[in-house]
Amino acid sequence: MSSSKVLMPTEENISPPAPESSAVTSSHESSQEETEKVIKVNDLNFAYDGKKDVLRDISLEIQGGEVTAFIGPSGCGKSTLLRCFNRMNDLIPTASITKGSIEILGTDIYDQYVDEIELRKHVGMVFQKYNPFPKSIYENVAYGLRIQGIKDKATLDQSVEESLIGAGLWEEVKDRLDASGLGLSGGQQQRLCIARTIAVQPKIILMDEPCSALDPISTATVEDLITQLKSKFTIVIVTHNMQQATRVSDKTAFFYLGELIEYDSTTRLFGSPAVKQTEDYISGRFG
Amino acid sequence: MNETPHIIRDFDSSLKGMKASVLHMAAIAGGNLDNAVHGLLQRNEDLCNDAIAEDEEVNAYERSIDKEGMEILLRFNPLASDLRAVVASMKVSTNLERIADQSENIARRARKIIKKNEVPEIQLIKPVHALAASLVAEAVRAFSDGNSQLALTLFDKDQELDRLHKKAIKDLTRAIEKDQENLRTYLNLIFIVRCLERIGDHAVNIGEDTVYIEEAADIRHIGPAALEEEE
Ligand SMILES: Nc1ncnc2c1ncn2[C@@H]1O[C@H](COP(=O)(O)OP(=O)(O)O)[C@@H](O)[C@H]1O
Ligand SMILES: [Mg+2]
Repeated sequence: MSSSKVLMPTEENISPPAPESSAVTSSHESSQEETEKVIKVNDLNFAYDGKKDVLRDISLEIQGGEVTAFIGPSGCGKSTLLRCFNRMNDLIPTASITKGSIEILGTDIYDQYVDEIELRKHVGMVFQKYNPFPKSIYENVAYGLRIQGIKDKATLDQSVEESLIGAGLWEEVKDRLDASGLGLSGGQQQRLCIARTIAVQPKIILMDEPCSALDPISTATVEDLITQLKSKFTIVIVTHNMQQATRVSDKTAFFYLGELIEYDSTTRLFGSPAVKQTEDYISGRFG
Repeated sequence: MNETPHIIRDFDSSLKGMKASVLHMAAIAGGNLDNAVHGLLQRNEDLCNDAIAEDEEVNAYERSIDKEGMEILLRFNPLASDLRAVVASMKVSTNLERIADQSENIARRARKIIKKNEVPEIQLIKPVHALAASLVAEAVRAFSDGNSQLALTLFDKDQELDRLHKKAIKDLTRAIEKDQENLRTYLNLIFIVRCLERIGDHAVNIGEDTVYIEEAADIRHIGPAALEEEE
């Protein structure tokens, strides 16, 4: 597979990508990738203390170009699994995968040769508590590109504009790019964070309850944005809002106490789940 | 049926309330059918009038069940079997309304028939009605108990009803040839037999809605075979 070494730190992918050639949309490989398993979780266990598994026997394949929702009660391990996808859990010294593996774009991401920084360029993350930097709107979006060493003003300008358009924020902020990102409304700040994420052109965007701090209108704006972004990115979203999962996702995975109980198309999982535990959870029954 | 209670108790009571309304409506619709046919067989115009008057009550139930369903969809955003139950119950109520309509049609024709000479062929209605009424009763019981096995038996029964219906029409057509004087009565009887056959179709629809609630399978226009293929 042509993309199998994409996450390895080679000369080629350490150097900054040419901004106008979106690695995700314009290469002819991407059409193949859309039907490819972009994320493949193989019989995974994970423990924060290296001993007690909070994820158990998780196997899951996520298709390119789809939105996948993770649902389940608090503490069932949704965020933990999401953070395994970009090795965010590595920041916790004792935390580790105790069994199994995760492949992203054909690469075993826990392979010793994989560079997490490089990985996170391909796997972006949007958090529940939107967290713009205390900088201008422009600098928030340009941040990741500057880290990649891009200095050319015209290149940055273009990328900032494209990312803000992509995040559905351009019209609202184009006249005040120098204003602080923190001066925006909650919904706008979240979309600014999404713009910052897509600026570095990841293949995968992970979203951990991205709307739970937003009012209904801002939530609708972000949901609409998710369905727009779907054509360019593979999205995994953790949500507590079932209706949101039914609106935005193609597939849904239901987790309970660290295990994957059911994973199916969203219409099937919410319309006629195969497992009673899923049904009891999604229909608000005791269980 | 998922018997585990909902955390929001009002959700449970609303679903139960909707089902109770459908069962009340079914009792009235079934009663109208019996009144209409008994009115004919016993030459009792009051029974016919009851079947006609009570149709309005069935219509009112249909409207209120739609309202209950809409309210549950709006307030509780039901999913999975709850969603199927609400949508299918609304369809069951539509089919019950049609059954009551057909019963009203039967009653109106019966009133005409009993004002004329009695003909022995009126007895031809008896077995057709018995089978149609039992189809309705079993469809309602299947819905009430969430019994998709029972619901699936309705297909065969309905075919039997089709056979009885065809035979009755043949007999009545023959009677017309022999006895022109009572032509109107025979034509009205043919009409009634047709109504009874339609009622069987509505009972089958109720059975299909029951299977949909219980099995999440759409067996309309395909029959029970679709369920086997699903598995
Ligand atoms: N940083 C951490 N250190 C230790 N345990 C954690 C940490 N984060 C989460 N956990 C535990 O891991 C389990 C899964 O948590 P999490 O993935 O956050 O669940 P969810 O996102 O589904 O609510 C929970 O039991 C939680 O207490
Ligand atoms: Mg979480």
